[in-house]
Amino acid sequence: MLPLLQTRIASPRSLDEALELMATPRARAVAGGTDLLPNLKRRLGSASLLVSLHALSELRGIEVGDAGLSIGAGTTLTDVATSDLVKRHAPSLAQAAELVASPQIRNMGTLGGNLCLDTRCRWVNQTDFWRGALGGCLKSAQMDPETSFKNADVCHVVPGGKRCVAAVSADTVPVLIALDATARVASTRGVRRLKVVDLFVNDGVRNLAIEPDELLMGVDVPTHAGERRERYVKWRVRGSIDFPLVSAALRFDLDGDVVKDARLVVGVLGARPKVVGVERVAVGRKLDAELATELAELAHRQCTPLENVPYEAGHRRHLLRVLVRRAIEALAQG
Amino acid sequence: MTEPEKWQIGGHHRKLGAMERMRGIARYTDDLSLPRMLHAKILRSPHAHARILAIDPTKAMQMPGVIAVITGSDMPTPYGVIPWTPDENVLAIEKALYVGDGVACVAAETEDQAVAALAGIEVEYEVLQAYFDPEEALAAEETINPYARKGNLSKEVELAFGDVDKGLEDAALVIEGDYEFHGTTHGAIEPHCALAKVDPDGLLTVWSATQVPHYLHRELAKVLEIPARQIRVIQPPVGGAFGGKSEPFDLEFCVAKLSQITGRPVKLLYTREEVFYAHRGRHPMKMHYRHGFDAKGKLVAVDAKTLLDGGAYSSFGLVTTYYSGQLLCAPYELGSYRFHSRRAYTNKPACGPKRGHGSVQPRFAMEVQLDKAAIALDLDPIELRRQNAMGSDSLTVNELRVGSNGFLDCLAAVELASGWKERRAKLGFGHGLGVAGSTYISGTNYAIYPNEMPQAAVQITLDRSGRARIFSGASDIGQGSDTMLAVIAGEELGLPTEDIRVLSADTDLCPVDLGAYSSRITLMVGNACLDAARKLRKKVTASVAKRWECSAKQVSLVARQAIDMNDPARRVDLVEAFHWAEADHGLLGEVGSYDTPKDRHGSYRGGAIGASPAYSFTAHVAEVKVDDETGEVEVVKIWCAHDCGKAISRGLVEGQIEGSCYMGAAEVVLESHGVNAEMGGLHHGPSFLDYRMPTTLDTAEIEALIVEAPDARGPHGAKEAGEGPLHSTIPAIVNAIYDAVGVRVDDLPVTPAKLVRAIEAQRALMGDA
Amino acid sequence: MNDTDKTRADEPAPAVSLLRFRLNGADVSVAVEDHRTLLELLRYGLDLTGTKQGCDEGECGACTVLLDDKPVLSCCTLAAQVEGRDVRTVEALAEREAAALLDAFDRHDAAQCGFCTPGVLMSAEALLMDTRRAVTIPEAARALSGNLCRCTGYTKILHAVVDASERLAEEDAEHGAAS
Repeated sequence: MLPLLQTRIASPRSLDEALELMATPRARAVAGGTDLLPNLKRRLGSASLLVSLHALSELRGIEVGDAGLSIGAGTTLTDVATSDLVKRHAPSLAQAAELVASPQIRNMGTLGGNLCLDTRCRWVNQTDFWRGALGGCLKSAQMDPETSFKNADVCHVVPGGKRCVAAVSADTVPVLIALDATARVASTRGVRRLKVVDLFVNDGVRNLAIEPDELLMGVDVPTHAGERRERYVKWRVRGSIDFPLVSAALRFDLDGDVVKDARLVVGVLGARPKVVGVERVAVGRKLDAELATELAELAHRQCTPLENVPYEAGHRRHLLRVLVRRAIEALAQG
Repeated sequence: MTEPEKWQIGGHHRKLGAMERMRGIARYTDDLSLPRMLHAKILRSPHAHARILAIDPTKAMQMPGVIAVITGSDMPTPYGVIPWTPDENVLAIEKALYVGDGVACVAAETEDQAVAALAGIEVEYEVLQAYFDPEEALAAEETINPYARKGNLSKEVELAFGDVDKGLEDAALVIEGDYEFHGTTHGAIEPHCALAKVDPDGLLTVWSATQVPHYLHRELAKVLEIPARQIRVIQPPVGGAFGGKSEPFDLEFCVAKLSQITGRPVKLLYTREEVFYAHRGRHPMKMHYRHGFDAKGKLVAVDAKTLLDGGAYSSFGLVTTYYSGQLLCAPYELGSYRFHSRRAYTNKPACGPKRGHGSVQPRFAMEVQLDKAAIALDLDPIELRRQNAMGSDSLTVNELRVGSNGFLDCLAAVELASGWKERRAKLGFGHGLGVAGSTYISGTNYAIYPNEMPQAAVQITLDRSGRARIFSGASDIGQGSDTMLAVIAGEELGLPTEDIRVLSADTDLCPVDLGAYSSRITLMVGNACLDAARKLRKKVTASVAKRWECSAKQVSLVARQAIDMNDPARRVDLVEAFHWAEADHGLLGEVGSYDTPKDRHGSYRGGAIGASPAYSFTAHVAEVKVDDETGEVEVVKIWCAHDCGKAISRGLVEGQIEGSCYMGAAEVVLESHGVNAEMGGLHHGPSFLDYRMPTTLDTAEIEALIVEAPDARGPHGAKEAGEGPLHSTIPAIVNAIYDAVGVRVDDLPVTPAKLVRAIEAQRALMGDA
Repeated sequence: MNDTDKTRADEPAPAVSLLRFRLNGADVSVAVEDHRTLLELLRYGLDLTGTKQGCDEGECGACTVLLDDKPVLSCCTLAAQVEGRDVRTVEALAEREAAALLDAFDRHDAAQCGFCTPGVLMSAEALLMDTRRAVTIPEAARALSGNLCRCTGYTKILHAVVDASERLAEEDAEHGAAS
């Protein structure tokens, strides 16, 4: 087995209680645990206190109101994937949630957990023995400060790189950004709102602008009038279990068959999702095969996969172009 | 008076022990627990090649709960599953030879404490140059394995039969190619686990998830330097093996030794990562083949040069090296044949036997070569194979005797089932069918350690409640060998399998059996079981005949009854018949034996390696769809026709066919086991996430077709089914890819990236033409 | 100094909590260290060894149990997280589905080494309980897509699940017709 290090656990029954506990030094929130536990087992990160969110019913739920489609951070991915409300108002989000990992992990994992999924890298997501043999790296050293790594200031992906480029690998993140979602983050200091896109910073060690004592409460996806076509594109080698190796979210708002607004957000590049500048090309154009090819080309030019996740970067870049083109062609057909 | 129809053989049976396993009642090794049990953990080398200068366990010994620490020098006797190549120590003594090589072992009260204590064992290493490429290793001055006798050449086999050079010279067509097969591993869902205890009188008991309790028994005695009679090895139900548990491993010796030292039971469970380091999986092979054909497409000469990447230890490597050449001489007549195989040591986890041991890789090359020839000669690939098929009761070019041979039936079966003739030409670009054939041994005539004792033995007793008890050393690793034995015995004795208890794989209770490897159990242990069962049957029918005053020949034992075949109204319950027999003969117990024939192979050196009492035959057709833009290969369907001689129990044989096809397909497109040479020989990804085994959504539809060409040497004509069906899965898929998109990828795995590159290169070529 | 003295003297005591939950239909109350996973509690704390450990990293599905009737990975669930909730393991397959599934698996030879089977049965049981009708091979494949099997190639497993669902649907129809 891979035993966890000794720690304490608390299971608050109210949000206030939870926020108080989160103020404990080195407290970590755990919901489904499907990302945190494997990492802790491998000594990637540590916690003096695990604050389990499983009893906080106020973090769960899906409803449509003034803020749009509101989904509690504690809502499981299965519930997001199967929700009629989500399928109606944000079908690509339901699609993305359905594609996460495996059925068991979707039953345990939450939307909030997926949003906060740690970045991934082939040199980091390994056991402590393996990383020790490697000599560690930028991220290893910061997540496991107890160990002295000979490569503590090295990045194995970008030679000479000083900033960690571990990849954001959550399926729902590009979609939430493409749908212009807002995140609600709480602490004992109050609640703040920020666009999901602004949650992410370009640092693979910690790519979230969430303070250690803050909890993600939920996301609000604006509802829309008019015709919208949206899709989440995921490529992985196997049909289940695996993280995305290519990940892109598409959204087109149409007026007749003319594009009014468009978004293409690409994940699994570096630490932050890339918002590809498609509006300039797409707005005012017909949604058709020609546009599909152009936008795919644009994505190909603007997106550079790295040898961080375990699949050849060159091929992933090639796939991005092919799969984005095909996805837009499919959307063009209604 | 005719023999009654077989009432058990060939049917479907409920598997013995299946309910207990499924319901979570059966206790696998890690499910066992003993009072005052300690937990052990192994400290492993982070270096691929390093001299061990010093090991200081002082800090560890002072840590909470730590009871003992051992190192390599506590068990200095080298061992190896093949007695000619004892080149490993339980824990490395002089040098660590790969990242993950064990160097020390700690036992503590809890697993938490054992894990923590690893950090307290201080090891001083002198890092040495490491070799990850077999050719570089062979060219190097430095020897990797301290017990090696020929530098980094682990084994070399060169054999020639007939005049290959002349054959190639005279050939109308020569197909020449380079092929590469990468490494893959077994991936059994149960990690290795061992538990040991020592009784006050010194009897050591070791429970282990092993396929080879007997070999483990021998090596424990050798390394621990205690008599074998003081050791008992028990193999609990095993959660999959596939050749990955067919030799002794460090954890078994460690728990035994620590148990002796501490006087307490000790258990060690590998983490999933450690299973990758233990490995003993499929050898990466670089192969160069030349096949010569006459104008009609008949093979006249085959020349093979093979380089095996062996990793740090020999494991079964001596045998693998022979198999890489010896096992390719059927199902086709080769005309003349020459092979030169070399196995190199490298600083990587050791390679060993994985399902299809040593012949899967060359079979891939052979069958792609044939496909290329068929294309060149404008022949249907199935026709080409038909043309070259050898018949039954024939001699291969390397003097192996083939008995029954259902290969042509296998080809016909997959040809028909897949709609080959009608569909192949009609499938559009991106959609293809491919075919391949193969053969495999049903056990090997070669005893791993030389001896003159029978290769298998079974003891059967009958009791007064009408039950039979079969004592067999054979390891049921999930393939259903216990059930197979019960069916064979039940057939003879008139008992349904529910009335038969099989006690297996306990060296105190059961006869020696060499283990579940090389697909030997059905043929060898099955024959031994048949032998014992027939002896008992004779006694029972004689006793019934005596009381009925008739000939024993007319007494039939079926479905819990003894029946007079001349007067079927006359019958008696089997319980009564057993009582009569016990009254006449005393306790009803018989031993059955089986020894392999010694006259079915050539007398040249190595002639026995690859020799088998009987050979199975297989043919595959695979249907694939290839996305030429993304390079993704979807294996839509696999048809596999496998000649198993006689299916003792049909469900079991189907299960082996299906499992083999699934595993073979995974080796073409998904799985890849290797280390990162630029990063000090670290394993690419020792986890089930990075080592991608197929999920339900990645597995093709598989149609298993049982073909039966009974072999006189098999029990009821039965031959193997556990490994044979894997072989031709791989080239069938590769050939189907060629049929679909017209490109060859001769080095596996066929990754999307490789395929796209090959397709684009092909297009560029054709564009320029 | 004997062994147990050594344990007590030298290390900080781990945090321990009292855990109360429903396990296989019965109320259970057990002291568990805070850092233990549900899998560790089941296998080593409660000697319910039917749930298996294949990887302990959330990648194989062998440790699948039902938590509030949903299949989850017990190796990635902290024991404390099942407080007040309903856990079911293979030792107590739901009565209605159990008989049908076990019988179908047995008839179809869907278990070879049997190590993945407890986890597979939990996922299959949840599918049958959720759908309450005959399912198709693709549906069964999706439901079991988080359970790795190395022996069977899944063929017989999927057929067994479909078979079990068809039998249950027949039974339901009979009861429906009878009432």
